[in-house]
Amino acid sequence: MNNRVNELDVASATSSVKLARRQSEPAFPKKRKKRNGIYWLQMSPALILLLLMTIAPAIFLITKSLTNDSLLSSNSNFVGTQNYHAILTDSSLLHSARVTTIFVILVVLIEMMAGLFFAQFLHQKTKANSVAGALLIIPFAVAPAVSAMVFRELLNPNYGWINYFMGLLGLPDQIDWLGNSFTAWVALIGLDVWQWTPFVTLILIAGMSALPAEPLEAASVDGANAWQIFRHISFRLLAPFIGIALVLRTIQAFKTFDSFLILTGGGPGDSTSPINLEIYRVALQSFRVGFASAMAIILLVVISILTPLLLRILSRATQNENV
Amino acid sequence: MLHSKQEGNSASTKIRAAVAAILAVGLLVSGTSMNAASAAAKPKQIRILYATAEANSAAVQAALPSFKTKTGVQLVMDTMPYGALQTKVFAEFAAKSSYYDVVIVDTPWSPALAQNLEPLSAYMTNASLNDLAPLNPADFIPKVFYDTAVYKVAKPSLHYPKPTAVVDPAAIKKAGFDVYGLPIQANALALAYRKDLFDDPAQKAAFKKQAGRSLTVPKTLDEFAEVAEFFTQPSKKLYGTTLMAGTGDWATDDFKTLLAAFGGDGYMVGNNQELNFNSAAGVKALTYYRDLIKSGFTPPGTTSASWDEVATMFNSGLTAMTMNYHDLKLDANVAGGVIGYAKVPAGNSEGPHFGTWMLSVNKYSKNKEWGYRAAQWLTSAAQSTAMLSKGIHPARNSVYAAAEKLPDANVAAYYKTLKQALAVGAGRPRLTNYGEVDAVIFTMVNNVATGKLEPKPALAAAAIEVTKLLESAGYKVPK
Repeated sequence: MNNRVNELDVASATSSVKLARRQSEPAFPKKRKKRNGIYWLQMSPALILLLLMTIAPAIFLITKSLTNDSLLSSNSNFVGTQNYHAILTDSSLLHSARVTTIFVILVVLIEMMAGLFFAQFLHQKTKANSVAGALLIIPFAVAPAVSAMVFRELLNPNYGWINYFMGLLGLPDQIDWLGNSFTAWVALIGLDVWQWTPFVTLILIAGMSALPAEPLEAASVDGANAWQIFRHISFRLLAPFIGIALVLRTIQAFKTFDSFLILTGGGPGDSTSPINLEIYRVALQSFRVGFASAMAIILLVVISILTPLLLRILSRATQNENV
Repeated sequence: MLHSKQEGNSASTKIRAAVAAILAVGLLVSGTSMNAASAAAKPKQIRILYATAEANSAAVQAALPSFKTKTGVQLVMDTMPYGALQTKVFAEFAAKSSYYDVVIVDTPWSPALAQNLEPLSAYMTNASLNDLAPLNPADFIPKVFYDTAVYKVAKPSLHYPKPTAVVDPAAIKKAGFDVYGLPIQANALALAYRKDLFDDPAQKAAFKKQAGRSLTVPKTLDEFAEVAEFFTQPSKKLYGTTLMAGTGDWATDDFKTLLAAFGGDGYMVGNNQELNFNSAAGVKALTYYRDLIKSGFTPPGTTSASWDEVATMFNSGLTAMTMNYHDLKLDANVAGGVIGYAKVPAGNSEGPHFGTWMLSVNKYSKNKEWGYRAAQWLTSAAQSTAMLSKGIHPARNSVYAAAEKLPDANVAAYYKTLKQALAVGAGRPRLTNYGEVDAVIFTMVNNVATGKLEPKPALAAAAIEVTKLLESAGYKVPK
């Protein structure tokens, strides 16, 4: 009996959908075509803008990447995939790619975890949290170049504040932060985490403020502790916000340039030399446009593959949590 | 008939008179138009693109109003910091833009830019274009002039074969080269030292006891290391010297200075792309450099220091000696501090790093003649002398003669040393992708300075990298 009712319900629902679709469709195909034309016309300014601002430069970049073009040279030849081959077999460029990847993984991981941690405390609507929310904007409102310059001064081994305060606390106060690979990495990651954790925190505060109270209260009534509530409910519901923060920060971290250039200059040696610094040298110091375009295309492809991949991983993780 | 003849004569006279009148008017008009051409060609303004800090824009800015007073043409100067300036200059030339009439050019850019710069030898020999101030090319310091401004545009990697010859545009042209700018700011590495410490009787006595000789300003590399060791007293927050071993162009400059001092080629890469830095002299230079740092004669932070940071180290009284591109001023808290200057120490030869900015005329400018006149006037002896008070580093011998008589003894002493350094300096190799080659060299220097690599394998690895870069830029590197 139940099955029969369900079949009837489904049949009636299907026919109503069909009817609704039929009603929404114009009676005459010509009219429908005309309406479609109007839609395209209405979208055309945005499409043209999109074409001019993104698609056309991308095509131009791809075309250039297949040449040995140099900004001031009249000899521009088609070299096929030669630039790509040179990049993918160049040990120093591959090293820079590794530096970039390690940097992105470390800073994004630390910032996501720290952002989640701070958001847990700051999402409740209190006066203190409002002030904290306003203060959080400050680090990422500072230009990256300026914050890198300030960090460089703070880390100066002879008159910087960091060593001075470490000395006051009885810690080693003669650290040459930027003269050693490990401490240079600590400095770079520290700067990025200081600058961008608030950004992640603000996104997650917004997410937490939008969470429905009922499931959390129900879990609490059922005896779940804070960690269980966070892990099984808050985290799952926060997934879209974590996804946004993760994708934005990953893309931003890949683009990091100023702090590398100003804080470490890629040193000591080339231990902190990211791919962007290499692109800068090739594109804006030697103006080898073809080679630099190929480098930029590879970076673009990596980011383009990585972004949906991250979202998929996150989506699967939350689905598994759900199961 | 007569009448008719007379009429004919009269007619022919009239015709002749008319022709003469037309010719006279024509000549008058053409004469006027020649004058008018120069008057019409006189622009309201000449636009200059200049470097904000690196080439002392304040000194040049102060001179601009006088040009308007003298000629009626306003000089409008835009300035930019180094990185942005380089991009702007290259973008302007790539677009063949006529917006800027005069552009400042740094030596590492010149090989790539030369074909876009107006050759100036014809302008320099045209008296009517040098009427605002005497050109006197022989007054330029030869090494500075040839290294900065003289190129063979068909093969811009070549240096002028007679770098110490008196500057003569006709001889330059005859040798197949041309002049692509006029030097305006000449920088060279010079030694600065704490004169008060060197003159201190207690220090003198202590040094005599330790070294068995009098304490003097080091002239050789051995003396330099010895004096640096003597002054190093970390407990008193005093170190022997600074070095610019951080990852940047400055580390390359330190290296090439030592390379030249140890008898190597201070230009590092030859006219035909010979990798002269990868040599026995290169190993000696790097070993000496590494040992100064490893021995602790330099302050903490040396392996990440730039030219700016070593200036701060010295100015704050942290070191007894330093090497830098400009004069220095001790902080107020360095009681009794006095600075002296000398050429950087030499080995069996010398070649302190130098690099000069030049004012070039944009090949695409619509006011090339006036652009030249502006550049020629700004780099004249009179204007350079006037700019001394603002700290310009002139490229003319006569200006240094005036500089050495300046009332500020510290500044006068600096100019005296700068002139000596410029006379024997070594510039950069002429490569279109010098920035990338430079990055390989300074990374290698830094790796040796931090102890990560030994000098010999570091040089060999750098040579492989540089070869790849040069070949990718279209050069053939001799095997």
